[in-house]
Amino acid sequence: MPTTSLDPRINRMALATDVTPSEKPPLDQFGTWEVFVQARDNKPPEHAGIVHAPDAEMAFLFAKEQYSRRGRGCVGLAVVPTDAVWVSAYVEGDQNAYDALPPAGPAAGASEAYVVFHLQKRGKQHQFAGMVEAADPPAAAHAARKTLGAEVPLNVWIAPAAAMHASDEEDRDFWTTLPEKKYRDATAYKTTDKLKAFQARQGG
Amino acid sequence: MYGGGTIFETMSVQDDPASAEYQEQLAAFEARIGRGEKIEPRDWMPELYRKQLIRMIEQHAHSELIGALPEGTWITRAPGFKRKLALMAKVQDEVGHAQLLYGAAETLGKPREAMLDDLINGRSKYSNIFNYPAFTWADSTVISWLVDAGAIVNQLANARGSYGPYCRALERICAEESFHLKYGHDAVVTLATGTPKQRQMVQEALHRWWPPLMHFFGPPDRMSVHTETLMRWKVKMASNDDCRQQFLDMYVPKIWELGLTLPDPLLRKDAETGKWHYTEPDWAEFKRVINGDGPCNAERLAVRRTAEERGAWVRQALKRPEAAYVQPLA
Repeated sequence: MPTTSLDPRINRMALATDVTPSEKPPLDQFGTWEVFVQARDNKPPEHAGIVHAPDAEMAFLFAKEQYSRRGRGCVGLAVVPTDAVWVSAYVEGDQNAYDALPPAGPAAGASEAYVVFHLQKRGKQHQFAGMVEAADPPAAAHAARKTLGAEVPLNVWIAPAAAMHASDEEDRDFWTTLPEKKYRDATAYKTTDKLKAFQARQGG
Repeated sequence: MYGGGTIFETMSVQDDPASAEYQEQLAAFEARIGRGEKIEPRDWMPELYRKQLIRMIEQHAHSELIGALPEGTWITRAPGFKRKLALMAKVQDEVGHAQLLYGAAETLGKPREAMLDDLINGRSKYSNIFNYPAFTWADSTVISWLVDAGAIVNQLANARGSYGPYCRALERICAEESFHLKYGHDAVVTLATGTPKQRQMVQEALHRWWPPLMHFFGPPDRMSVHTETLMRWKVKMASNDDCRQQFLDMYVPKIWELGLTLPDPLLRKDAETGKWHYTEPDWAEFKRVINGDGPCNAERLAVRRTAEERGAWVRQALKRPEAAYVQPLA
């Protein structure tokens, strides 16, 4: 039986409210993608969260909307499938995640580029640390230990560069209009002036 | 608060408090929290912690998603182009907040679609305040100001909690909320300092929304064995009454400085204790509404269900059969 809403759009939809709900099969789900955002040129790309999407192109679009629609500016954005990310052990306190690596296996096969992210403190986001060349993620971790180990991260993420879908340099203009949108900027609302004028009219 | 009060579950059978191993892990877990360090998704955690956090974060997410509906209603009828743009941006933000929060809850092991399924099928709750209708534009402004104000009180408390992904999501959310609060306050002030008709409209809206606002933080906490545990684990950060007091202290003066009244003759701040006195809200009414018998409950879920059904063909067209659910990392 359709209810009468205050909202004319909802009345036009003629919603049924006594529908027997259908249950989705468990785990009916788009893939999961980790998103990295670079807010400014002098800051490293940093993990921002996830999106769910059916492919890389849509993941990128959703990520752009979700993580660069508002806020502190953006000069670059990248997405990578969650299951392409190798995760190290988490260590405690002053320990180095690179000290907890299992021993390096035999050298094998052709090298490819890997992207390395470090977590410096619990509660913070993983940040881009650098790139290495290796045959597989565990080998990449050992390679990263040599060049990046001095940062003493608590946790390391490593992903193949080929799996990362990132914005190009020439895409920077996606974000140039962000600061123009004053209607969603708290500082653009001059409420105190309105209030003071009102109080003056009331006689103080 | 987002589920309408505290509902505690018994401990899962998987936790065996009698075992030495459990006690050791529990001690390390509690020591970490005691040091002020965040718990991350791959850490050992008690089942009660996991379950309560999933419920809390999930219901927070649902509240953002459903909250977009009474506000979205007024976008096409907002007075003026700038207000339309601003309200659109606010509603976009709310849906975005839902996405951030679902992502955080997913790190604890519940898939996104399971959460949305539970919402649509009435198995999950959301903040009760969104079960009321926005009759006029003034209602929309009161929601944008005071409901967001209430949410911010809660979010600032929870941002100091122990679970890393929830805290990171809340940090992002709080940064976006400052515009919401400013926008809402500005819209209320514009009406309150405007024509007699505008002033009357916002005064009446305030009277309509005051009872749901007094319900917003949930019933007075009953101290049970679990409250103490959840506070020690920094899942529950402040009592419902403490949050309510903070809200009253911050916003009643701002309402009164506009010369607007509130429909509670007992509402006043005790000069000695600094606590606010108020008429105890009707908790039977709250229970009735949150359990489905409110003005808009059926409509809210019908809209979400319809959106799901009418979008199903797009999801089916895009879905890859080989894609498996993957739990987020952080």
